[in-house]
Amino acid sequence: MANPYEVLKADVLDVITESPTIKTFRIKPEKQFEFETGQFVELTVPGIGEAPFTPSSSHYEKEEMDITIMKVGFVTEAVHRVKRGDVLGIRGPYGKGYPLDKFKGKDILILGGGVGLAPLRCLLLTLIHDIDDYKSITVCFGARSPEDMIYKDQFDDWRKYDKIHLLRSVDKIPEGQHWNEKVGVVTVLMDDIKIDTKDAVAVVCGPPIMMKFGTFALVDKGFKDENIYLSMEKKMYCGFGQCRHCVMGKYYACKDGPVFSYDMIKNEEKIWE
Amino acid sequence: MIVSKSDLNKFFENLMNDFDIFIPYETEFDKDNLSYRKFSGDANFVISKYRTVDPIKTLFYLPSEMVVPPSAKEKKRIIVGVKNCDLLALEVLDAALLEDNFVEPNYKIWRENTYIISADCTDTLPTCHCVLLDNNPYPTKKSDGKNMFDLNINPVDDKFVITVGTPKGEKLLELMKKCCTISKATSADREKIEAQHAEIRKKLADINSDFSPDRKYNVISESYDETTWKELSTECVECGGCTNICPTCYCIILNDESEKDCFRKIRTWDSCQLSGYARVAGGASPRAKLWERFRNRYQCKFVIMKENFSKLGCTGCGRCISTCPAGIDLREVIQSLQEV
Repeated sequence: MANPYEVLKADVLDVITESPTIKTFRIKPEKQFEFETGQFVELTVPGIGEAPFTPSSSHYEKEEMDITIMKVGFVTEAVHRVKRGDVLGIRGPYGKGYPLDKFKGKDILILGGGVGLAPLRCLLLTLIHDIDDYKSITVCFGARSPEDMIYKDQFDDWRKYDKIHLLRSVDKIPEGQHWNEKVGVVTVLMDDIKIDTKDAVAVVCGPPIMMKFGTFALVDKGFKDENIYLSMEKKMYCGFGQCRHCVMGKYYACKDGPVFSYDMIKNEEKIWE
Repeated sequence: MIVSKSDLNKFFENLMNDFDIFIPYETEFDKDNLSYRKFSGDANFVISKYRTVDPIKTLFYLPSEMVVPPSAKEKKRIIVGVKNCDLLALEVLDAALLEDNFVEPNYKIWRENTYIISADCTDTLPTCHCVLLDNNPYPTKKSDGKNMFDLNINPVDDKFVITVGTPKGEKLLELMKKCCTISKATSADREKIEAQHAEIRKKLADINSDFSPDRKYNVISESYDETTWKELSTECVECGGCTNICPTCYCIILNDESEKDCFRKIRTWDSCQLSGYARVAGGASPRAKLWERFRNRYQCKFVIMKENFSKLGCTGCGRCISTCPAGIDLREVIQSLQEV
């Protein structure tokens, strides 16, 4: 059996600055790399370490991959120093992604905050690829301020689709920045959604506090617990349930997740921290 | 079947060139402590008595080893004198590390190339408490044949009674027959063994008479009570000794020593008792407080591992008690939880 820790070389083709703290890295693994939207990979900065990320490009792209990374810790600071032409390592994919079969024919709500938009862009691009299969897609994205909103240049492309309803908010508008959409935490956008929530599915990804209140808001709006999917961030080290760092009660975020339905984990301890 | 101690020694001497043989010896600093050492002809080994200080995982899941590329050696090994608490721990490790989808590369290599000759306990340490977990201080043959020992040897007088556990054990026995006189065990030998078993169980029961074997582990999950756990963990100094010495703890971190595109990854034991263990980038941690981490060990051993592997993560070896610099006794913790 193959070594589950085996690392593939990945060339960095491009680095895009998304915000003052977030960059997207376009990489090309040394061989075709297949994954399902919502699954994650472990990215190695040679000599520094590795950290888990969910790709932000469509899972239909198998040769190259985008990974959007916020500078927030030891490994990600090193990733941010990486330039075009450098070499990274990649292993995976790990975990369970979004159960797209259960999304077919339904209204889909995507709720994201900050760098949480990264895995959601992967999902959105994958959904767009098969857009006829879905009833509608409502996207609610939030960021702290206009300059923290990532993927700025891509929203116009997504707005072209009749089935996509795109809503954005920022927490505040600092002096010198401009914004003509909603202001407030991302849940304020839920007042504007126009779908029948009883049969719709929702997907949430963002900082812990946003995941928590976002989920509560969805439940209030009438989404069923089993139709709310959360991308959980825990400390995934190995990726396959051996190192135990990401244990959430009886589940492993890496192996049983990182995508969980809310009904599956709502009774486990400390899921929001 | 029976083999004499001198013949057994001859057997090890004959095999020591083809096999790395590990046997417990008294440690240099404390005669009451046993530790595995590679056999190189020294006949002062202690096969029976009680468990070693070092848990069995140190020979299968090393404190630090390279996993990219895997560094385990394929040389054949024999580990002698493994006690039942460690055999039970190997069952947990097998369930965790040789799982269908993901097989830990080094562990698999070490496991496949190792023969295990277990031995019955003939004495106890003050921290031994397998009986509180319904375990015995000696292995018994399983009805499904999935024995964790290849051979078991049981000291009777100055000889050993041999039990074969697996086809690998049959092979060892064939090798043994080449250089040792093997005779048949008599009914008197079997009676002696039974008497020894009863005696050691009695001794263990006496040592643990302050503790009830009727333990309810659901109280660990149910008692998410800050005060109780804060009290229980007051003395904990967060050294992580209990998890490192535990035969079923297998949490690790991966360190990267890659140079450009030559990837090297080292995995090293980690401890859920340390504050950085579950902390993610940005600072969030599901177990930021000491009492939460302290409770996690109990939750993991007695509830989560049971749920994941249908086996308890505690085999009653008592190493965490012996090693704790703060004198925290797992038996007392479980006992006081029953009374909350």
